[in-house]
This record gives sequence, C-alpha cells and structure tokens, in this order.
Amino acid sequence: MDQQVTVVIIEDHPVVTEGVASWIRSDPGQRVRLVRAARDLTELRAVPRPPADVVILDLELLGELVTAQIPELVAAGYRVVAFSGHSDPVIVMETLDHGAHAYVSKEEGREHLVEAVLAAAADRPYVTRSQARAILADERPARPTLSEQERQALLLWFQGMSKASVGRRMSISENTVRQYISRARAKYAATGRTAPSKDALLARAIEDGVIKPGEILPYTSFARAAADHPSAGQPSADHPSADHPSEGAPGR
Amino acid sequence: MTVIQPTTMMSGRYQRAFTIAVVVLVAGWHLAGAGGQLLDYRPAYGSFAFQGAMWLVMALAIAAGSVLVLRGALGWRAAWVVALIALAASTAAAAASPAGQMLAVNWAWGSAGWTGVLVLVRRRFAELAWFLAAVALATLGVQVSDGLNRADLAGFLALLAWSTGGQVAVAAGVRALDLAAGQAATAAASEHAAHERAATAEIIRVARHARWLALQESAVPLVAELAAGTADPGDAQVRVRCAVQAARLRRLLAEGDEVAGSLVHELHASADVAERRGVAVEIETAGALPHVPGPARRVITDAAIAILTAARSQARITLAVVAAGIAVSFVADTGAVVALPAAGEGVAIEQQEDDGMLWAEARWTSR
Repeated sequence: MDQQVTVVIIEDHPVVTEGVASWIRSDPGQRVRLVRAARDLTELRAVPRPPADVVILDLELLGELVTAQIPELVAAGYRVVAFSGHSDPVIVMETLDHGAHAYVSKEEGREHLVEAVLAAAADRPYVTRSQARAILADERPARPTLSEQERQALLLWFQGMSKASVGRRMSISENTVRQYISRARAKYAATGRTAPSKDALLARAIEDGVIKPGEILPYTSFARAAADHPSAGQPSADHPSADHPSEGAPGR
Repeated sequence: MTVIQPTTMMSGRYQRAFTIAVVVLVAGWHLAGAGGQLLDYRPAYGSFAFQGAMWLVMALAIAAGSVLVLRGALGWRAAWVVALIALAASTAAAAASPAGQMLAVNWAWGSAGWTGVLVLVRRRFAELAWFLAAVALATLGVQVSDGLNRADLAGFLALLAWSTGGQVAVAAGVRALDLAAGQAATAAASEHAAHERAATAEIIRVARHARWLALQESAVPLVAELAAGTADPGDAQVRVRCAVQAARLRRLLAEGDEVAGSLVHELHASADVAERRGVAVEIETAGALPHVPGPARRVITDAAIAILTAARSQARITLAVVAAGIAVSFVADTGAVVALPAAGEGVAIEQQEDDGMLWAEARWTSR
C-alpha cells in the first residue's frame, strides 16, 4: 500500500490508547498512522469532521455502551473497528449488525488490531476469534446459512489454530481457509439492518471473488440496501442521524 | 415453567371434593326439598306460574354458581351477584305467597340460604352471616307486612333455627375440613421432602465413595511412594505424576459441586494446577452448551489434564456446540503429541501437532 491508512481512536482509558499507539508504531511496514485520539465521540461530530479512514472504537466509554452510535459513524463515512473488553457474543453480533467492520477483543488486540484496521480500510472482511465465536453461537432465526466447510473453518479458527493449521486439518490451502471465513463474514453483511459499510464490504467481497451474488441470501436485501444508500461509502454532509431509513429492517 | 407444590395439589384435591359435596347438597335441596314443597302446595299459591318462574330463576342461579365454583372462577363480584339474585327470587316468592300461609308454603327461603352457602362458603364467614341474615330479615319483613301474630313469630323462629342453623353448620364444617386438608397436605409434603433429602444424600454418598475409590487407585500409591522414598520429587517424571494427581484432586472436588455448566466448572478446576505452574490458560465457550453426562465429562477432563500437564506456557480450551453434541478443543504449546486417555462414553478424541503447537479435540455426541 503506497499511502498510510489514517486512524482515529476513541478510548476513555489513556493507557489503552498508549498501547494501541505502540502497536501501530511497531508495525514493520508503518502501514497505519494514528491521526487523533479522543476520549469520547464529540470530536468526531464536529463539522468539518476530522478526516480518517478508520475509527477504532472502544465500545464502552465512561461506563456506557456505545454500540448504538456506530451507525452514525458509519453514515459519516468512517469504517469502524470495535475494540472492546466485552466478548459477549450478543454484543459482538450487535456491533457487526450496526455496521462495524470488525470486532477485536482487548485480549486479541496485539495480534489482530492493526490487521483489522488495514482490512477495514480496504473494505475487506476480518474475522477475529471472538467474532468466530459469536457467529458459531448465533442462534437467531434470521442468521445466514453457513456451509459445513465455512462452519468447520470458523470452529477450528475459534478453537485457536493458526489458519495454516486449519488448512492442514481440513486438507485445503490456507488461502481457501481465509476464503471460507471471509465468506461467512460477508454473509453476515447481507443480513440485518442496512449500512453503507456492509454494502461496501459485500461489494468488495464480490469483486474479490470471495462470494458470488447468488450465495447471498436473501439477495434482495443487498439490492434494497444499495438503493437506500446511494452514497454508500462516501462521507455524508447530512446530519447522520437523519440517515437511517432502515432501522427495524426485516431480519432484526 | 410453573411448578405445582405437592402441598397445594393435595389440599386442592380435598377442597374440590368438599366443593362437589356442597354442590350436590344444594342442588339436591333445591330439586327435592324446595321443588317437592312447591308441587305439594301447588293449589295454595295465587299464581303457581310465578312461583315456578322464581324456582327456575333460583335453579339457574344455583347452576351458574355451581359451574363457577367448580371451575374455581368465582370472584367476589360473581359470588354476590348469584347470592343477590337468590335473595331477590326468595323475597319475591315469599311476597307472592298467600298471606296467612306464607311460612308454611315458603319453599324459597331454604334454597336462597343454600345458594348463599354454595357461593360464599370460602369467603369471609361474616359475608355468609350477613347474607343469611338478609334472607331471614327479608322473609320476616314479608311476614310483618302480612301481619305478625305470636304463632307466626314462633313459626318463623323455628324455621330460622332449622334452615339457617343447618346452613351455618355445613359452612363451618367445610371450613374445618379445608383446614384439616391443608394440614394433612403440609404433613405429606414434608414427608415427600424428607424422602427427597434421603435420596439426594444417597446419591452424594455413592458419588463420594466412587471418588474415594478413584483416589485409592491413583493418588494413594503416589503418596505412599513419596512417603517411602521410592519416588524422588527431584525426578521430572514424578513431578508430572504429582501434577496430574493434583489436578485430579481439584477435579474431584469440583465434581462434588453439581452446578449448571458442570463441564466448564470442572475444566476450570483441571486448569487450576497448570495455572499455578505459570501456564496461561483461557477457557471460552460458544453457544448454549448441552448437558454432558458425568462419565463423558470424566473422559474429557482426563484429556484436559494430560494436555495441560504437558503445556509449557499457554493453553486455550474452547467448548462449542456442534450437531448433537459438544466439541471441547485444546490448543497448547506441548511441543509434541500427548498420550491421551482412551476415547469412550460417546467421546471421540483427535489430535494434530504443528510446529510445537498441539491441537486436540474431544467431541461428545449424544447419539
């Protein structure tokens, strides 16, 4: 990547911000640049909004869960990577459903945060073990249907194997393992409430050949989502809260 | 889920029997007693049709009251509506009776009182008393307006003693029986609880005995060897055996606590010894885990103990719901494959080693 990915961190504990900054600094490729750190969402709501590709969002700010603010950030054109001490599958699912690109638990930060930020900036799926866990635990009636192979890859990944080991176990290449896991994630982007970030992720997954349009069920929801958000992926000048026509969309 | 206590169930059964007895008594009285009297004095009434209509109104009130009482759906409002209909029918029937013969031909007073017993018997006693008093006063009022001489008053008092006395006696009897049934049921319930305690104590005793036998086989010989000096604590093999036995002891203690999620609890206990050794152990679950029977949990925790004992610095244990069962997996830096206990009890065990990292999975299926 020629250009650095710019990132803002919203985190109420300075020591965590310091830790994230040090992970970003120690990335050998220097692929990410931290442009701002804030303790709450006020700065991101200022006009003009600070330019950044990705927001690393602590889900609990000053004792309050902020998952419901994710659509606002997404509508403003930011890609959101949730970074949280919570690993409850219900919270993980809600975070993704609100349009966050990825979910990284604080235990997984060192290994996964920078990679998740880079994947989000490119609209590519990134599935941490805590996300795999939430998908495996998902029993909502509206959950997408995963193939046996996708489930098995997610299970072995959740269990703690490296993707190379998962590949050996399943007698497939590491690349195919990534493909299965990414496809499962992309299927989730096609369900639940609509969000420009989910559309972007799906469009990129189709472009990358991770998933075929026919594999997304129901495909109609993607088409409708695109119609609802003609400016998908672009920063919006409107007040963001006026831009959620799809709250309470089917599948919730 | 609603759990019906045996006490409630049993005293409920008795109460229902008493209710049925009262219904039969009241209906029998109205049909045979009041109905018979009505037919006997048929020529005496000014309008037999009106008396017949009042008898029917009373019969309907009794039928409605009976249905409500038997269904247990009688609120205070419905009870008093039925009672007041009976009072009105009784008073009307008395008022329409020929003046001099009212007390002799009155079929309705008794029926009204019994209807009151039917619907008010399980309410406060004062309500029934007020109702019976109101019926008696209404009848007396009719008698007074017809003209009251000494003989009439004596007749009224005799009838009052006979009919109202019987009604009060039956109502008091039902209440006493209700009370006795409640006490009997409470006694039966405490006997039931005592049986359950005894059964639980027996299960605990058997489990303790099994644990004691398990210790006899494994930990006791090791302790004996250490005491005799034939096992050297400086020997790495002996230390591994000690670690395994320590983990088993912790698990045995954990098995005593039958808590929800027993398997997770026992895995935590099995991990305890490894954690004291400085191995970072994380345990995560995915999905609502099914209950795994004790023997299968044994196989799984044995595998956990073997792997955790071999782990150098880190281990991850995960439990995930899979089709018809549960997959418990271990990823640990053991450096090599580990000798795992034999599969069985519905548990299949697999392992794979890659670059010093061991992956093992114990999969239990209910089929």
